[in-house]
Amino acid sequence: MARAVASGTRADVALLAVSAFVAFAALALPAHLRDPLAATLRRTFIAPLVTLQRNAELGRTALVRHDAETTVRDSVALRALLVPELEAENDRLRRTLGLGHALGWGFVPAEALHSRALGEEFTVTLTRGSRSGVRPFAPVVAAEGLVGMVETVDPTMSLAIIWAHPDFRVSAMSADGSAFGIVKAHLGSVPERYLLELSGVQLSAALAPGTPIVSSGVGGVYPRGIPVGRIISELKTSEGWARTYLVQPAVQPYDISSVLVLEPRRVVAGVQTVWAGDSARHRGPLPGDSVLHRSGPFVLPRDTVPDVPDDSTDSDSTSASRSAAQP
Amino acid sequence: MSPIGIVRTVIAFLLLVVLHFSVRPLLGWHAEIDFLLIALLLVAVRVRPGTAAVLGCVLGLLADSLTPGAFGAGALGMSGVAFAASWLKAAFFADNLALNGFFFFAGRWAYAIVYVLAEHQRHGVELAQEVFVWAPLSAAATAGAGIVLLVLMRPLLEPSGA
Repeated sequence: MARAVASGTRADVALLAVSAFVAFAALALPAHLRDPLAATLRRTFIAPLVTLQRNAELGRTALVRHDAETTVRDSVALRALLVPELEAENDRLRRTLGLGHALGWGFVPAEALHSRALGEEFTVTLTRGSRSGVRPFAPVVAAEGLVGMVETVDPTMSLAIIWAHPDFRVSAMSADGSAFGIVKAHLGSVPERYLLELSGVQLSAALAPGTPIVSSGVGGVYPRGIPVGRIISELKTSEGWARTYLVQPAVQPYDISSVLVLEPRRVVAGVQTVWAGDSARHRGPLPGDSVLHRSGPFVLPRDTVPDVPDDSTDSDSTSASRSAAQP
Repeated sequence: MSPIGIVRTVIAFLLLVVLHFSVRPLLGWHAEIDFLLIALLLVAVRVRPGTAAVLGCVLGLLADSLTPGAFGAGALGMSGVAFAASWLKAAFFADNLALNGFFFFAGRWAYAIVYVLAEHQRHGVELAQEVFVWAPLSAAATAGAGIVLLVLMRPLLEPSGA
């Protein structure tokens, strides 16, 4: 019995030794022998298990990739939501750039910051001040047209009223020079509050809806030729001696972000050629710009001012302001 | 071992081998569960040490075929672990899950040490990290899984008439 046990133990040890020898031999095999042997084992004895393992790894990879792809898809969707806003901002910036190119000189670019505070709905803070050349009563323009006027100036910033401000006035005329009047904010109820009205138009001048209105240059504050808006319809008023028209502003409040402040010498020199002709001329060499698809250009006739009636005592908001500022 | 017992053990062994090549890659853990070692220990405690050593060598070579760079290292480790487990089978026969878990843990760790030393592919900090960090973690995961599997497969491994 004891001999059998001892024999069995010796056999076990011998088998262990053989196993260890085989293992060491496998470890010592050179690559050109080892690799074919391993490949043979993979392709024969454990081929189904290798396939199983590969499929499991593919499954795990798919799971991991699913999370990553979901993240990417969500990110793309989020960015897609921002694309229209970015495109609109990009379009506005391009148009402002084009306006600056068309002006060439005599302006100060600035950012217009809106405030939501009560009583400040119709003013914007400009990020440039007197150190940059901004002066009180300077016209503020955007690519689409007239924005407003600088009211107060600090060294590094300034405040401007936009056209919706109750004190805003600009002497204006139809683009063909057939009618003149004063444009001011339409102080109606909320839906029409952000419209303008052209008042004091002579009875003989009937303006059709869509007629472009530009600044006339009378009063000397706003140079002639800045787009103000387009005629919507005639308003019925108690004034029997003149017509009043409702005007769709050229610049929408939400478009007011990047603006240009005209310097006094630029006001004197005029801007008649800037908005005249194809609006694409305002732009840099950027094909496909959306400004090309916007409403038609304002075409200014040359020398249409001389027949302007001399009713400019309150033609520009700055006239009153200027007279108030100069005792 | 009765023929029925042999069949049951073979079924359990094959089941664990399949788990090794299906569940382990799916989990993708660094501290992986070594179902192959559980299967080997399960059989090793039921056969003679010499047989267990040969089985470990064959199983190790088959596993090593997937990692030709360390061909033979797994065979060496599994041979030694299987032989030791079979030689210590008295302890395994005790119906104590904690003890079985300890042997799974020790077996997996010992196998990892032999494997890492035999493959000659890690040195210095990396070797120490593998031996003292990842190997114990993997051994713990294997022990935990082994205990769960022993509980689940108890009806299969223990004859009802015994």
